[in-house]
Amino acid sequence: MTVTSPLVRLSGVHKRYGGVQALRDASLTAAGGEVHGLLGPNGSGKSTLGKVLAGSVRPDAAEIVLAGESVRIGSPRAAARLGVAAVYQQLSLVPDLSVGQNLVLGSEPGRLGFLSDRAAARRVAPVLERLTPALGDVRFDDAVRDLAPGQQQLVEIGKALLREPRVLILDEATASLHRDQVALVFDIVRELREGGAAILFVSHRLDEITELCDRATILRSGVTVAETSVPDTTPDEIVRLMVGDVQQVEREHRDAAGGPVRLRVRGLAGGALHGVDLDARGGEIVGLGGLQGQGQSELLLALFGAIAAAGDVEVDGEPVRLASPRSAARRGIALVPGDRGTQGTLPARPIQENLAIASIAGRARVGVLSTRREREAAQSMVDALAIKIGSLADPISSLSGGNAQKVVFGKWLLTEPSVVLLDDPTKGVDVGAKAEIYRIVRGLAEQGATVVINSSEDRELVTVCDRVLVLFEGAVRATLVGDEITEERLVQAALRIGEGTQGAATGEDAA
Amino acid sequence: MSRVVPILKDPVVVAALIAVLLIAIGGILRPGFASPDQIVDMLRVASFLGIIAIGQTIVVLSGGEGIDLSVGTVATLGAILASRTMAGDDAMIVPGVLLALGVAALIGLANGLGIVALKIPPFVMTLGMLGVVGGLILVVTGGRADGRAAPALVSLVNGRDVLGLPGILIVWLVLGGAVTLVLRRTVFGARLYAIGTSREAARLSGVPVRRVTVSAYVLSSLFAALGGIAMVGYSQQVFLNLADDLTLPSIAAVVIGGTLVAGGVGGYLGSAVGAIVLTVLTSLLTTLAMPEWARIVVQGVVLIALLAVYGRQRRLRA
Repeated sequence: MTVTSPLVRLSGVHKRYGGVQALRDASLTAAGGEVHGLLGPNGSGKSTLGKVLAGSVRPDAAEIVLAGESVRIGSPRAAARLGVAAVYQQLSLVPDLSVGQNLVLGSEPGRLGFLSDRAAARRVAPVLERLTPALGDVRFDDAVRDLAPGQQQLVEIGKALLREPRVLILDEATASLHRDQVALVFDIVRELREGGAAILFVSHRLDEITELCDRATILRSGVTVAETSVPDTTPDEIVRLMVGDVQQVEREHRDAAGGPVRLRVRGLAGGALHGVDLDARGGEIVGLGGLQGQGQSELLLALFGAIAAAGDVEVDGEPVRLASPRSAARRGIALVPGDRGTQGTLPARPIQENLAIASIAGRARVGVLSTRREREAAQSMVDALAIKIGSLADPISSLSGGNAQKVVFGKWLLTEPSVVLLDDPTKGVDVGAKAEIYRIVRGLAEQGATVVINSSEDRELVTVCDRVLVLFEGAVRATLVGDEITEERLVQAALRIGEGTQGAATGEDAA
Repeated sequence: MSRVVPILKDPVVVAALIAVLLIAIGGILRPGFASPDQIVDMLRVASFLGIIAIGQTIVVLSGGEGIDLSVGTVATLGAILASRTMAGDDAMIVPGVLLALGVAALIGLANGLGIVALKIPPFVMTLGMLGVVGGLILVVTGGRADGRAAPALVSLVNGRDVLGLPGILIVWLVLGGAVTLVLRRTVFGARLYAIGTSREAARLSGVPVRRVTVSAYVLSSLFAALGGIAMVGYSQQVFLNLADDLTLPSIAAVVIGGTLVAGGVGGYLGSAVGAIVLTVLTSLLTTLAMPEWARIVVQGVVLIALLAVYGRQRRLRA
């Protein structure tokens, strides 16, 4: 694969989401006839970089050269016109439309605005036929809603193929596929490579990368740190490139909490969870690691009674009914959810009400609130957590991400919880607020609470956790304790678990 | 300027100014329109709508596309049940009111349960209930409305017994004050605003979302029945469609009062002012001898114009 003139060249790509710099001068070069891997730990910006090329993320700055010409890609439609197609793990199919209608969606054949089903059927026939070995008996007229997740993913891939792309981006597009389905996709990718297309392959699975990719670009914290020839690099070297020189992360070395078990979980299953066991002591901070989307958020939501799950959960020896967040909260469980805007805060309501809402009934007398007690309770949290606000009467939507998140913490601290569940608590908050949130988390543990924390950043787990459970496909597959918790070990554990077990728990029967 | 403008952006203030403006215009065009007597009379008529709008306010605040299209017929049914029980006898006022409230509570409970348990959208659920209650009215009356308000109820609405004012205005004031306190100073009120702003965030804060939602619809039916009973005190005789036409004005009053249609922001004071605006506007257009079609058009235009003004500003009012 000699790189003469690259088909795709991205350089100087910057993208900031609120307080978070997702991409910082990232770059990528891929030739025609090449499968190019895009690698990096959670949150390194690899998906964002792919989306810049696919036109679905507008960068703050970027230079994009396609086949020698400088181009601007302002929308997915513009990308399609330039021959760039993308497939993501999140599907873009319309469940109520048929397979055929989905395949031609956005480029429906017809005349004078009237659709022609016959022309559409003719157009999609070759693609459907190509996918048949893995797709099974799926017809043009079948509703997408009735297909298994793996089959839907294949239709999504077919939709991209129909556009005969010069550049195809596959972003975790094989995650929900069976082994034989993956094999077919790999065959198709290799055919496209022979045809001179460039394929950008984003995956968490090291074995897929080494099997398929010619070259790879490695990202870390939004920066391109290496470009490497995959056949000439060992998996260990790839992991080292992803993690970087191990910087000493400041870890709070504490004596292992020796108290009794506060939170006991046995066989928690349902949805994305496949039997989770967990024991955590008072004062202990337990992290949930692994690739993103392996059931970490679902585990926290299930423990809080917010999604349906079955299993035995005890707090301080007392069984907890997993019926509703309300019954969980009564047992002293608190959840700082993953989406602050829609799950954590009441955006239009005043800061005081946002702080009060979870503990309000305890301060009321026969349902009536005392203005003074309400104000004092809210003010006590503003002071204790150093929340920067104008007035308690201002809507919470006027606060920065970090301060809004502190309000969500304060809301639960007022309930004096014994188990605190944190779902990616520092997402979208700046560095300063992050450090303060870590301090709050440690304070909770010192007061005897059990903390369970999921994070999209491995570094965060290294910083705050006494123990990390590495999840894969809804179950705990590895545990790191104390000094074992390093970024390198976390990445290794997350990537290695996936090898050889691909498709084990997903596929047709999951529909 | 900088101190005046924020106040002028408050929907309650805007609505109140419009009410005053309408009265002034009426006074100029038709001497006597702005006389104290005439104003008290308009407030008296506004009170029925205002009481029904209490429940509508609670339902709209509860969010989740909250709306109660059944308040008009529930008010009519309440008036019929109460007036038939009273049959012109003061001694039967309490049983009559209790019967009306009891039936209304059941209707509201059905609305609420349909919405939270069967997941029927509020618009559809209460529209269906409108039909069901209409049928109930025919069953109860056999198509003949023969209830009569008790004299004490009539003088409460039509007399000037309390400080020279009709007692119903005092009742309205007390109910309005009470609901305002409930919204601002109780656990129920805080939870109502919470679920109206974000059902998901409220649920994840341990708020009993379903219970609060059902309570909102029960309260809506209860206040509708009270409004209907007040109205039969005014008309003395009951009619089969006595309060049916108050459903849309009750929603309009809430909206004019600045309560966010999406829920979670607003309060009752605005709705009360909204009820007054609508009543004064109707009186003015009637006084000017406008044909009915023109009255309806003008009311619609005023509502749209106000919404257009409010749409430009999304401030918080607690």
